[in-house]
Amino acid sequence: MHSNIFTPENIIVQGITGSHGAFHTQAMRAYGTNIVAGTSPNKAGQYIDNVPVYKTIRDIQRDHTVDASVIFVPATHARAALFEAIDAEIPLIICVTEGIPVHDMLAVRAKLTKSNSRLIGPNSPGIATPGQSKLGIIPNQILTPGRIGVVSRSGTLTYEVVAALSRSGLGERYVIGIGGDPIKGLDFVDCLKKFQSDETVDAIVMIGEIGGQSENKAADYISEYATKPVVGYIAGHSAPAGVQLGHAGAILGSEQESAGYKTTKLQRAGVTMCDSVTHITPAVKKIMEDKK
Amino acid sequence: MKLLEYEAKKLLAASGISTPKSQLITGPEDDFLSIFPTILKSQVLTGRRNKYGGIQIVKTQAELEQTLPKVFSADIEGYQAVSVLAEELVDIDQEIYLNLTVNRDEQAIVLLAHKDGGVDIESQPVEAFFREVIGVRPIEATALTLAEYLGLEDQEFALGELLQNLLNCMHTNDALLLEINPLVVTADGKLVAADCKMELDNAAAFRHADWDFYDKPMSANFVELHRNGTIATIANGAGLAMATVDAVQAAGYTPANFLDVGGGANKESILASFRKLMNYPRLEAIVINIFAGITRCDEVARAILAARDEISSLPPLHVRLEGTNIDEARSILSKSGLTLHASLENAVGSIGGNNA
Repeated sequence: MHSNIFTPENIIVQGITGSHGAFHTQAMRAYGTNIVAGTSPNKAGQYIDNVPVYKTIRDIQRDHTVDASVIFVPATHARAALFEAIDAEIPLIICVTEGIPVHDMLAVRAKLTKSNSRLIGPNSPGIATPGQSKLGIIPNQILTPGRIGVVSRSGTLTYEVVAALSRSGLGERYVIGIGGDPIKGLDFVDCLKKFQSDETVDAIVMIGEIGGQSENKAADYISEYATKPVVGYIAGHSAPAGVQLGHAGAILGSEQESAGYKTTKLQRAGVTMCDSVTHITPAVKKIMEDKK
Repeated sequence: MKLLEYEAKKLLAASGISTPKSQLITGPEDDFLSIFPTILKSQVLTGRRNKYGGIQIVKTQAELEQTLPKVFSADIEGYQAVSVLAEELVDIDQEIYLNLTVNRDEQAIVLLAHKDGGVDIESQPVEAFFREVIGVRPIEATALTLAEYLGLEDQEFALGELLQNLLNCMHTNDALLLEINPLVVTADGKLVAADCKMELDNAAAFRHADWDFYDKPMSANFVELHRNGTIATIANGAGLAMATVDAVQAAGYTPANFLDVGGGANKESILASFRKLMNYPRLEAIVINIFAGITRCDEVARAILAARDEISSLPPLHVRLEGTNIDEARSILSKSGLTLHASLENAVGSIGGNNA
């Protein structure tokens, strides 16, 4: 139980007194998540929803064991918050903050590779183990315990798919939003490995997007190692080429970053690919029924 | 956001990178020049200026007066010159392509170079480029390998200094992309940035109070897809916004835009989005697809009511709301006559039907 990285026991919230931090601390606790403390630079000694506020993570660690931190600190101060969490050797860091400058994340990445911390995000909706805990901002009411592992680059698309899986009665074992930012922590392959080796996961849903190659790397992993069924969708079929991509991207393999290319590559790796997000749950349902 | 050439070159110069002597011409009447011969370059946010008459060489004042209005009026893929940059001609010995981009697959900055810079760089085979991930080796080592690849062994130190200056320039200015094409090796052995493309990180605007460029930040979350599109979209989260556009297109309609209102969008920011969409001439409907996490449905609901109050020509709204504070949103919209669809499929399906 303790070895399960996605279901940490003692959790803190960095930026707990901000409006998003306070609102979602309450929601996480309502879902049964064990929030032991939070940080806020100027409000140490206060309480948010009965959770004690400290000035720094080091201060918290004098009183509590910390297994994971959820970061709600605004983008302007997110680099400092991420550095603080890495310096405090927090095993799992989940960064919800959206809009962190890319150069700040390059600095965080460089620091992260020299540490033992694992980062999910930034711009991540967080992770959930339905029925047990939730770290981040995934709406409580859409989560239902089940045996499907969901990994997604997009927050809101995750909700879309999770809500549909729950409505269908399938439910989810884990929901992991890896975040849509270009420079980030865990990627698809890291999560697929976890789902593949976890006996409580029967099938996998992966939701990708245009841009970058991580879905193509995932396809390589799946064709080599995955024995569990995978259902996928890539958002952005109607996106114009090159809009969000830089000039070098346009030269080097922009075709490989398109929704069409990724879809075909995942299909060849054995993934059941859907052309609309609404087709995912029926596809999973069919696979689970055929398995019986 | 993208910079105009002259804006990018100012930042280059501030980082110690050589650029040609130049003068900015702000209008066709502003035709006093001290440099001849000069190359006139249309300042537009697109490439291929040369192909559409956006680049002209003039040798005399008379030629300048005749040519300048043409450069200003040249239609370059739908763009017209914001201003014209007049530059001295550099004495070219070799033209090199250099590109530094934040690369998501490497999670680092990647350097690309080619020994034959110029306009046809995109048709060069991938294998012909010099490519190196920055940060793995000392920059001096990269410069040495690059000098050998370019056949410019005598420029090793100058290239090393240039690379360091370019990286500093990216860092100081929060640049995601910095491309010099061509980087000119002059007859007397100097390295001069003859053209420059630069793209800055909108997310870093908070620490650059001095940013005042022609292109404005905020454009990343709003992309025009079809000027004459009939269905506009408003969604939250890039993925859901893309999926919404995908669904509109899959249903046989022409989507006008991609719009991600972003996490934590509020009534005012969503209302501003509605106003923006009213610029599309053939709009027949707006699909709103919000799955709220950090966003709150009640804020969206208030924005919808405000938009209906404020914008008289607002087309029918096909709304799908779900997630945080959905119950409050339902009660806010209870008297609006709007159907709140349970899924994206239903919302798109209701366009042209009776269920709007």
